[in-house]
Formats: sequence, C-alpha cells, structure tokens
Amino acid sequence: MKINTSHFGELEFGEDRIIRFAEGILGFEELKEYLLLKSDDEIFYWLTSIEKPEIVFPLIAIRLIDSEYIEKPESEAFGIVKLDTDPSNITVNLKAPVYINQEMKVGVQTILDADKYPISYSLFTEETD
Amino acid sequence: MLILTRKLNEEIVIDSNVRIKILALNDNQLKIGIEAPQNVKIFRGELYDKIVREMEEAIKKSSEPVERISKLKVNRIKSIK
Repeated sequence: MKINTSHFGELEFGEDRIIRFAEGILGFEELKEYLLLKSDDEIFYWLTSIEKPEIVFPLIAIRLIDSEYIEKPESEAFGIVKLDTDPSNITVNLKAPVYINQEMKVGVQTILDADKYPISYSLFTEETD
Repeated sequence: MLILTRKLNEEIVIDSNVRIKILALNDNQLKIGIEAPQNVKIFRGELYDKIVREMEEAIKKSSEPVERISKLKVNRIKSIK
C-alpha cells in the first residue's frame, strides 16, 4: 500500500504494518487503520491515518513521563501531543491515552476516570540539560 | 432531538440493551443509572467534547516544527509515596 504523508513524504508499506483501531479515535471514530511512524532522533511518534493521511496524531510514550501510569497488558500507553513552536506550550493528553499493542497491531483509546490525569499536561520543564 | 418526560425510578430503554434510570432528583441535579454492554462507551458530555477538541487541535498543530526539543527535559511525574 502507498500513502502520502506530510512528515515522511510518500510511504510504501505492507499490510503487516497496519495498526487497527476497531473503535477509532475519539472524534474520528470512522478512521480505523493507522501507521505508527517514528524518526530515530525524536521522542515523538506519528500515528498517521491510512484512510486520511492528513490526519496525524503526534504521540509520546507515557512511560517517559510517568513510570506508574495505568497499563494495559501487552500494550504501550501513548499520550497525544499538542505541538507548538514554543516548547513550553507543548502539552500531552494524559486523560485520554492511546494503548497500542505492536505485536497484535491493535490500538484502543480510553478516557481514564482518575482526576489526577490532566488533558493538557506540560511536556517539558523550563530547565534544560 | 427526541424528548421524553420521566419520573423518579422510571427508565428509558435504548436499542434493547441500554437502560437509563432516573435514580434521584434534586433542585438542579439528576442522578442517572445506566446499564449497558461493556463495549458501549459512556462519557460525560462536556469531557467528551473537550477531549475531541483537544484531538482536533493536536492534528492542526501536528506540523509545527519540533527541532529544539532534543535539548529539553521531559517534565516527569514524580511518584507519590
């Protein structure tokens, strides 16, 4: 299969790369098939819709932020990232994580009940290394 | 929009497998009980709308440049102990 993406240009991939979201992403329930793309030098992943490649969700592995985050068996928790040219405005949605099982190639998004997880969590601290 | 009037303890059945019951009535609050199969997603309306808005914004901003990020430190949640 072939799609044109904004971040990675034209991509050719096998059926085995497709991650299926049976229930879609909230607000985008009709889109079921995604590619999980990553560039080596960045901490972000790009969950790219195959059906509508202009729909891209930047993701970050939540374990980088919270080592005690709610887990799902065999899956990794990702937070949807709201990017910004000013890094101090970049936020992660910890309230509605995306769980991806890369082995089974399936994904699901949940809304967590716990009040402690904010929708807009600042990804970076002021200090730099 | 379909509008129904219900009294305390009365129910509404949707699609034969979702039951909504009026459990308590106060001045400006209603307590509702919902019975539905596991696969039926139930959200508070304002939370659902807020999250969907956040998704749409994340898509809109997905092409913002991210070059300087490798120099920044991730804001970790410290474990609560």
